[in-house]
Order: sequence, then C-alpha cells, then structure tokens
Amino acid sequence: MKTATFHTQQSPQAMPHWLRRTCQALWLINIVGLPFIALAIFFFSLVTAHAETAQSPLVTLDDVKSGTLLLKSAEASRYVEAPRVATDVDIVVSGPTARARITQIFSNPSNGWVEAVYAYPLPEDSAVHALKMVVGKRVIVGDIKEKKEAKAIYETAKASGRKASLIEQQRPNLFTNSVANIGPHEQVVVQIDYQEPVRLSGDEFSLRVPLVVAPRYNPAPITQTADLAADGSGWGTTADPVADRSKITPPVLDPRVNAPVNPVSIKVRLQAGFALGEVKSHHHAVNTETIDAQTQVIALAGDNHADRDFELTWKPQNAKAPAVGLFRETVGKHDYALAYVTPPVAQQKQEQRPREIVFVIDNSGSMGGTSMNQAKASLDYALSRLKPADRFNVIRFDDTMTSLFQDTVAADRENVSTAREFVGDLEASGGTEMLAPLEAALNDRRPNDQSFVRQIVFLTDGAIGNEQQLLDTIAARLGRSRVFMVGIGSAPNNYLMNRAAELGRGTFTSIGSTDQVDERMRSLFAKLESPVITNLSATFSAGNADVTPAILPDLYRGEPLVIAARLGSLSGTLTVKGMIGTQPWEVTLPVAKAAEGEGLSKLWARRKISDAEVESTLGKISRDEADKRILKLALENSLVSRLTSLVAVDKTPSRAQDKPLTRADVPLNLPAGWDFDKVFGEQASRKASLDNGSDIQLAKLAAGKKPVIQQAPADELPLPQTATDAELRMIAGLMLLLASAGLFFITRKTRGNA
Amino acid sequence: MMRAINTRHGISEWKGRAVFRPALRAGMAVMALVGLILLSQGLWIHAKAMVAQVLLDRAFTRSIETGQSVKPWSWADTWPVARLEFPRIGETSIALHGASGQALAFGPGHVNRSAEAGENGTAVYAAHRDTHFAFLKDVQIGDAVRITRRDGKVFTYQVTETSVVRWDQSGIDTNAGGKNLVLATCWPFNAATPGPMRYLVKARMLE
Repeated sequence: MKTATFHTQQSPQAMPHWLRRTCQALWLINIVGLPFIALAIFFFSLVTAHAETAQSPLVTLDDVKSGTLLLKSAEASRYVEAPRVATDVDIVVSGPTARARITQIFSNPSNGWVEAVYAYPLPEDSAVHALKMVVGKRVIVGDIKEKKEAKAIYETAKASGRKASLIEQQRPNLFTNSVANIGPHEQVVVQIDYQEPVRLSGDEFSLRVPLVVAPRYNPAPITQTADLAADGSGWGTTADPVADRSKITPPVLDPRVNAPVNPVSIKVRLQAGFALGEVKSHHHAVNTETIDAQTQVIALAGDNHADRDFELTWKPQNAKAPAVGLFRETVGKHDYALAYVTPPVAQQKQEQRPREIVFVIDNSGSMGGTSMNQAKASLDYALSRLKPADRFNVIRFDDTMTSLFQDTVAADRENVSTAREFVGDLEASGGTEMLAPLEAALNDRRPNDQSFVRQIVFLTDGAIGNEQQLLDTIAARLGRSRVFMVGIGSAPNNYLMNRAAELGRGTFTSIGSTDQVDERMRSLFAKLESPVITNLSATFSAGNADVTPAILPDLYRGEPLVIAARLGSLSGTLTVKGMIGTQPWEVTLPVAKAAEGEGLSKLWARRKISDAEVESTLGKISRDEADKRILKLALENSLVSRLTSLVAVDKTPSRAQDKPLTRADVPLNLPAGWDFDKVFGEQASRKASLDNGSDIQLAKLAAGKKPVIQQAPADELPLPQTATDAELRMIAGLMLLLASAGLFFITRKTRGNA
Repeated sequence: MMRAINTRHGISEWKGRAVFRPALRAGMAVMALVGLILLSQGLWIHAKAMVAQVLLDRAFTRSIETGQSVKPWSWADTWPVARLEFPRIGETSIALHGASGQALAFGPGHVNRSAEAGENGTAVYAAHRDTHFAFLKDVQIGDAVRITRRDGKVFTYQVTETSVVRWDQSGIDTNAGGKNLVLATCWPFNAATPGPMRYLVKARMLE
C-alpha cells in the first residue's frame, strides 16, 4: 500500500524524460494547434462559400452592394448581373457608299462566367461581311457559315469553354451578337464590318445609323396562319406569326429607374466627292472638323447612349445635287457598277387626276410620348393639304381599330374638319395589331376606277415582330393602290418601312423629331402630287449584266433610281428609260468613265438577296428557290443573311469545365421619347381588351382558326442550394470550446505548481 | 542534483510567463465565446428545423380543416402546402411554399415553377441534406411516398429512380408527361461544405 502511494506520488519524477517532453509537446499542440485548426476550418468554410458564388454569376438581392443592373435568372430570387456593351462606330463615307466598323466591347461585371447576347440594329440595306474578335492580344477572324452550321460551331466552342462570337441576322435590320465564355470582370471586343449605300432624296444625301432596337409588339398567336395537310384530310397545323419572339425581345430598362446604359461613340469621315454645303446631324450634338472642301470629320459630342438613331444629312454646295452618278469596282474576275440617276422634275403640269387617300395612323402604346405628337402633326398637315376634289378616309389602330368613315368621302370642309378633330383627340395606348387596319386600307371598293389615284399613307413606328405577314398582305392585295410609309419616332423599324414602300410601290419618309414634320411632310406631298415615273428600265449595252433590283420601282419626284450590277465588261453604255407621267424620258451614261467606288460587290450581293426575298414575297419564285439563291449569294460574298452567320472561335479554352456558364441578354435603353408605361403596360391591358372582344380578334376567331397557344418547351429546372453549414459551425465551435477548456486546465495546473 | 536545477529552472520559467496570464485568460474567454456562438448557431439551425416542423404540422392540419393557407407563425413569409410521408422508414415532413433559403430553414420547399402534387407534370420538393431530407439516403426504389395536399387530397407515389446531377443541369422537365415527383437535396450527404451536386429521388404516381 505504501509502495503504491509512493509510486503515485513519485511517478512524474519517475517518468522518463522523453515521455514528459512528449506530454508537454502534446499539450502545446492542443493549446496552439486546436484553435488554429478550428479557425482554419471556419475560414475554409467562408472561402468555399465564396468560391461557390465566384463560380456562379447568380446573386441574391442581399449580395448587391452598389447600384448594379440585375436580370432575373431562371432560379427563384436569384439574379444575373447584366453584361454591358460599349459601342464605337467608325464610318467612312466615300462617294455613294459608307464603310462602317462597329466595335462592341462586352464587359462582364459579375463573378461568374457569362454568355452575353446583345441585340442591335443595323441599317436595313447594310451588307455585314466581316467579324473579328479580340481576346487579350489575339485577334480571331470570323468565317461565314450556313446559319445552322455556325450555330453548331458556336455551341461546341461554348460547351468546351472557348471564347466564341456569333453574329446572326434576326431581321434584315436586327442582328444579335452572342459572345460565349466571358470570364469574371473580363472584357471581350468584337468588331463587325458592313457596307451600305448612301441614301439620296431630292438634293439631300443621308446616312442613318440605327442605335437601338425598339421594343416590338408581337401579336399573340391568335392571328395564325393555318397550313392544312396535303393529304386532304382537312387537319393542319397553325404557325405563330412571330416564330422567334424570344430572340427579338431583349430586356428593356425603365429610364426613370435606371441610368442609360450602353455608351456609344460615332465618328464619320465624310468624303462626299463634291464640295459640301450644309452638313447636319438631326438628333445628336456633334463636333465637325473640316479637312477640305469635300471632306469633313463628324464626331458625336459629349456622352451618348444607345437610345436613338443617328441621322446625318449633307447637301452639295451648289444648289443642285448631281443628277447622275456612276461608280465601279473590280473584285476578282468581276466588275461591279453602282448608278444613281435622278430623273428631271417634269416641266409639264402636275398630276391632274384627283386622289383617293386613306390615312392610317398608329396610336399604339409604342407611339406614346413625342412620337404620337409627331404623327398627329404629320397627319394634320396632310389633311390640310387635301383638295376638295379628293376623297379620303382616316383609320386609327392600336390592338383595336376604328375607321372614321365607312368609305372614302369627299374632302369637303366639313369632312376634313371632322377628321382633324378625330386625329387631335387620339391618344397612344394598347398593342400594335397592324394587319387588320392594313387590310382595311387596301380594301378597294372601286378597283377599276382610273379617274382617281389611290394612295395609302401609313404613319407608324413599325415596332412589330410580324413584318412578313404585313409584307405578304401588301404584295397580295396592292391592286391600283400605292403605299407610302411614314416612319415616326427616334427608332423606327426601317426595314419594314422600306420593304413595305417597295412592295407597295410608294416611298418611305422618316420623321425623327417634331421639327422635321413640316419639311418632310411637304416633300412627301410634293411626291404624292407629282406625276410618277413609271415603266423604268436600265440596260447595259455590253450585255451579260446582272442588274438589281430586278423589278425597278416607280419613282416619285426628286428620288433617284439606284441600281447595282455585275458586269461582263466595263465598256459600252448604261441606258435608263422611263415615262414621266405621259412623257418618255431617257438618259445614257458611258460605263468606262465610271469613278472608282468601294464595297460595290457587297452592296450588289446584298441587293440581290433582297430581290430574292421580294420575289418570294410576291410569289414569283418559291420559298425554296429564294433560299437557294440567298444561301449561294451570301456564302460567295461572305454576307450575314437570314441563312448565314459569321462565327469566330478562340482556339484555347478559357473556362474550366466545372465552372457553370450563365446566359444573359444585354439590356437595352428605351428609345428616346418613348413612354415606358405605355409600352410595357400594353401587355397587361391587351389581355383585357381581348376578353372584351375587340372586333379584329373576333373576326379572326370567326374565321375558324383555332387559337392554340403553344407552350414553350420548359427549360431545365435549376435546383436550390440544399445544404446548411450547421455541421461546420458545430465542429468549429466544439473545437474552440475544447481548446479553451484545455488552456484553462493547463494554466490552473501550473498555478498549482507555483 | 541535476534534477533539482531542472525543476527550479522550470518554475522560474512559469513565473516569467505570469505577466502574459491576463492576456492568455482573455484569449481563452474569447475563444470559448466564439466556440459557444458557433456551436449554438449550428444547434440553432437544427433546433429551428425541428421546432418549425412541429408548428408547421399544426398549421397544416388547420389549413386542411379551414381550406385556407395558414401561416405557421405571424411573421412567416411562407406557408405549408403539403405533407410528405415515407411510411417504410416512418418519416414525415411538412413542405412549404417556395424553395428560398428562408423557407428551406424550416422545411422542404415546393420549388416554384414545378407542378402541384397530383397534377400532370413534375412536382419538385427540395430540402437540406442535413435536416429535413437527411433521411433521403435511406429511401429505396419501390418505396411509397404519400403526399397530402392543402386541400386534403392524398396522392401516393412510388420511387422509381435515384440519381446525382448538377444543380444547373437537373434534366427535370416540369411539363413532362404523367404525374411525376422529384425530391432533391444536396449531395454527397456527409460533406461539410456546400457543393454543386444534387441527389434526386424520382417517383411516379400510382393510379
């Protein structure tokens, strides 16, 4: 017993030296090491939590610290920080053509990898032919490919983590640029080149750079086109009039809440080829630098954002513009020519026949704000110009329509003042169902009456997605009528306007601000009241020339005939013939004396593509035949079209496979002068008007087409985060507690020793 | 002799450290405090999950009786929508409307955009792997899942498949044909940190 006691008491002393040391070391490890390990685990949990957010660009509202632009993601209450795009437009105008380079700088403000999709407009007659993507110091040049193939190349690159850019045409004036795998806080630069012809009207040349895609009204799939099966069973399918509605409806910011995004800079080097008179930017402040009598450099002044179209016009110093212009370019084996011929203003008396005019005015929500005032002022001016011998009617529409008179009525004082009052009371609201009013206007009760000239003046911003339906209607039902489009607002749909005017054999007038109303409407009325130049033909004596447009339009006062041609040889003459009213007219140009031009081959190919579209709309060639022609032209000339896209792919992957990629549409500004509520309130109010049963929709339903609302295929459902950090916290907490207990124990022990 | 010197040396060393003792004690206290806070936070998550289920069960029973949404507590931003029962393993859970982080702290969430239980399409419920759906690892193919809806209707599903997917590549089609059910939680079950993978239990309604 005694021995035992002795042993216990003496044991520390008896303990071998190494063992005591080991014990002390163990304590030390416990005291210093445990809290360290606990803290390390705690921080590790924070770091992994951070890494999780770093992998995903999705954020919750709580994560947002400064003013950021968020887009809803597919996941509930999580958002994507919107990618931004800054745009620089560099244009060189040389004579009849403009060569533009658009540089889009995509930046990703989020912590994740993003695919940015930017919808942007280009002039409707632009020939987009080159794409370059700049990643770091490398420049990747894009290739033209068939649309499906380009998409497949892009998707493969996207999936494998390589940077890629894809330019697709959604409409001839609406393109999207998708850029895949933009890293966190990274920038990718994309350059797009295009050529376009300069527009000439009267003695004024003009260039338009559309800068924003206006939100479009897409009719719900209620006015469908039915396709009955060929087997005669009577069963068929119906098609949505706007098959690609998701592609052409990017998010739009409410200007009252968000500062404008997407900054823009524009520089135009204007080499007119003649001494310049007045040069004017209509909607933007500019700085102008004069190089010499023929050359000026115009640049946007101050900060600008993509919310309105840029319009530049210039006139020659001499009062009159040159009446003819002929330019040539040689590319490969082929020679190309571009000719402008302005017929003389007829000396003979004005068109004698009275006119039967139907005015159609758009008072939909997209016209809200200044556009409605411009439209009303324009129509009021037009009404005041009517002569007592004329007949007229006014039709207004949003997603409903009203025809002021049953039929056209005499333009006596009483009727005109009724109409002016009707127009004065119009207010913008509702959707844009343009088909029914167009059909009503084209509905000609006296199709064979040659004592009147029948004209339709259509005032709209054309902010719709079912353009083809309208164009088909014009092509099919034009008869003796002529359609004159008046584009209203800061960002009208110029493709629809131009093509509708072309198919309607009328003209297109653009009114971008209230102070343009008077001048532009006066010039339109001069056209309406003057004799038309018809039966035009253009012949190259050397033969073997492929001339476009294939169907030469009728010309109105002051308008030039613009033709492009691929020539067999640069010799002989070009002869243009036509009838000015009842008077024959002819002009001959020596082809060999043509001046050197730029990009004419691209413009020729682009115009040939338009020809194929027009001929297919007119039913002269089948859709398949048109597709075949378009594809051949686009691939040979490296042009983006309905069937071809430009795609550029980086060779080295930049995104690791385990990091997710999120798609985000680049949000757009609302075009200047638009009223956000009127546009986006209309979706909700439209449904109500449908329920109320507006005459148009009822008429459509009565026609027996069953309204089937196709449900979009559901995308994959993302799953929420379903792990808590309870365990981590408990482990770390326990360790800290243990460590402090250990410390407490050891300090007490040593105090006892002392 | 040697030993004596050694001992004296040791004592003087400890005395020298006495100056640091207050600092040491303060450090100890902080450490203990942080430890306690972390531990209680962890426990709190579990406690919340358990207590909430009791309150939810009560609210759900009442909402079946009254036919109206009953909030389990006055400040709740969600409400019970279904009772999920797993008869073989004897587990029961009350699911909430929506699968936001706040809702998931209290019970499984019915994922927005997914179908209602008993309807055509796919109903998706998600919950935390360490609380309400910790038992999901015990669910086997062939097990019955009984779902009581807010309107009192009861539907029985049979588990057909289990799988592991990424959160953003779930492959779940909410409009899929038939009446389907998916229960989702984080995977792997024993991991301590959140990750991108999800464990899915798929079931089809027994007609």
